[in-house]
Amino acid sequence: MRLDDALRDARAAHRPSLVLYLLVDRARRARVSGIARAARDGGAAAIELGFPFSEPIADGPELAAAHARSLAHGTGWPDLLDTLRVVSRILPTAVMTYANPLVRRGLDRAIDEISGAGATGLIVPDLSLEESPPYRAAARAHAVCLVLLAAPGISTERLSRIARASRGFLYLVGHYGTTGGAARGATVDLRPSVAEAHAAAPQLPVLIGFGVRDAISARRTLATGADGVVVGSAFERCINRTATTSSVARFVRSIAAARAST
Amino acid sequence: MPRRFGPYGGAYVPETLVPALEELDRAWRSARRDPEFRGELGRLQRTLGGRPTPLYFAKRLTRRGRGAEIWLKREDLLHGGAHKFNNALGQGLLAVRMGKPRLIAETGAGQHGVATAMIGAALGLETEVYMGTVDMARQRPNVERMRLLGARVIPVREGSRTLKDAINAALRDWITNVRTTHYLLGSAVGPHPFPTLVAELQSVIGREIRRQSRRAFGRLPDVVVACVGGGSNAIGTFHPLRSTSVEFLGVEAGGPKGHRVGAASLERGLPGVLHGSYSYVLQDRNGQVAATESISAGLDYPGVGPEHAYLKDTGRARYVAVHDEEALAAFHWLAEDEGILPALEPAHAIFAAVREARRRPAKERIVVTLSGRGDKDLEVVIRAAR
Ligand SMILES: Cc1ncc(COP(=O)(O)O)c(C=O)c1O
Repeated sequence: MRLDDALRDARAAHRPSLVLYLLVDRARRARVSGIARAARDGGAAAIELGFPFSEPIADGPELAAAHARSLAHGTGWPDLLDTLRVVSRILPTAVMTYANPLVRRGLDRAIDEISGAGATGLIVPDLSLEESPPYRAAARAHAVCLVLLAAPGISTERLSRIARASRGFLYLVGHYGTTGGAARGATVDLRPSVAEAHAAAPQLPVLIGFGVRDAISARRTLATGADGVVVGSAFERCINRTATTSSVARFVRSIAAARAST
Repeated sequence: MPRRFGPYGGAYVPETLVPALEELDRAWRSARRDPEFRGELGRLQRTLGGRPTPLYFAKRLTRRGRGAEIWLKREDLLHGGAHKFNNALGQGLLAVRMGKPRLIAETGAGQHGVATAMIGAALGLETEVYMGTVDMARQRPNVERMRLLGARVIPVREGSRTLKDAINAALRDWITNVRTTHYLLGSAVGPHPFPTLVAELQSVIGREIRRQSRRAFGRLPDVVVACVGGGSNAIGTFHPLRSTSVEFLGVEAGGPKGHRVGAASLERGLPGVLHGSYSYVLQDRNGQVAATESISAGLDYPGVGPEHAYLKDTGRARYVAVHDEEALAAFHWLAEDEGILPALEPAHAIFAAVREARRRPAKERIVVTLSGRGDKDLEVVIRAAR
């Protein structure tokens, strides 16, 4: 199933979507299919497959360390495509990568290759709206949804433009800060942002990420009216802590079962 | 202000930073036209900074070159001991104008950190400076200076523990504290509007060269030479002369002889996105940023400002790489010929200038921007001499 279809169906059915971030790591190759199946069995809607980058400026300590480890293991573009072929057979999959690996490979070629390996979405955390047109065009040409990110503090007008330009879902960054951990800065009321995004693009699911780590934070996040959550650092921690797929499934289930708290 | 230089530049950043970049762009556009702001900037450049810095005829160094005359633009005499003051002062005043009470900065050689700490103190702003632990070890005097000036120095232990990693850490801080903090970026790199803003603030160098060379030898120089780390002293030297026929020579760090890339991004890099802009980047075929090496912490950076990428592609400027050993030799030439201890960064430019002078007739004039003084580097130089 495609990413956009899966998330749209869930939104239509008022079923919150859980998307899990999984970093490609050559040393993890043998475990990937087990992890993806556990994610599916636990109720995840999709996987965001991360390609490591040497300068992950939007990532907090947990994921930044994971990027460094993965690169130390020799992870390269072919590993992304291999992992993608495995994971995308199990769950709808988006690739998440910083801009430079795409630039180096050539935008069109890179997106053609990930599309061929089963990706139906692409997320680029250091791509601002202004720089996105060539990426959107290349993604469209290969039937890949380019998911744009919106952040707290941007204007209503900008948020609406981003929501209208985004495909698959709108990735709303949940706090001022990098991935993982609680915000060091003040927490933000995301309800107005979610409402504005839904008003600007009524069909588009809105998912909130950065800092969602368990059922409690997921419930609180869903109370904003969002259609789902993205969990990254906490999932990375879970995978590193446990060897068994059943405990991964248990972790996923605990969050996937979360409903909006009031 | 231009967002792009040909294909280079732009703003490849997480959306969280966009409001702050837009605010900075607006603040600078209004400030540069505001007589009061310009008056304050000019006054502090003179009374706090010591501008204008002199243009000095290096007679004995010229004799060593046995060719064109070599003149030095003495940014080493500026407050703090490097050109970094020009940029830190301007951005510090902008931070006050935007109502941001906190400054953060990255630093490699420590010169930009020192300049930011000085401005933070003078303007009453809280200042925190990120610095890789490799650089903290090799530029220790500057770490002490920053602390004495009231700044907090935050060690960065990730990656190569040098300038690039300090920028990563500063960007993460900015993403987290963007509402109260101005990121006082130290070179003509990063997302728009930084490359343009920093170039304009450093252009005081080139404007003074234009005026002083007319007064000193009745015309513009034939060529200007400057070292290129991120490229701020070089773009400040080049910019005001861009519609003249003066030749531009940028000098990158070649690293130790035999090192594959050194830190010569323009010479040995490929176009890519690093720290928010599209420019030349030292990288592998997966787009992972390469490990650099240079004896000078201030040039030890795998990227370069986007305007330099454009000047290179269009042929308006030439760029060459100078090795560690050559820069060290030039350090000693300047010390013994002129009684000036240069920083290791501009020592690269001095070497290239002497080589250039050899190829040119005695009637030609070369102006080299001596971007900083060498006190911070004595330990490294003495160790290398053993
Ligand atoms: C004295 C001196 N010159 C040059 C540089 C390189 O920076 P840029 O290329 O931005 O002028 C530095 C950087 O730390 C420096 O301290």
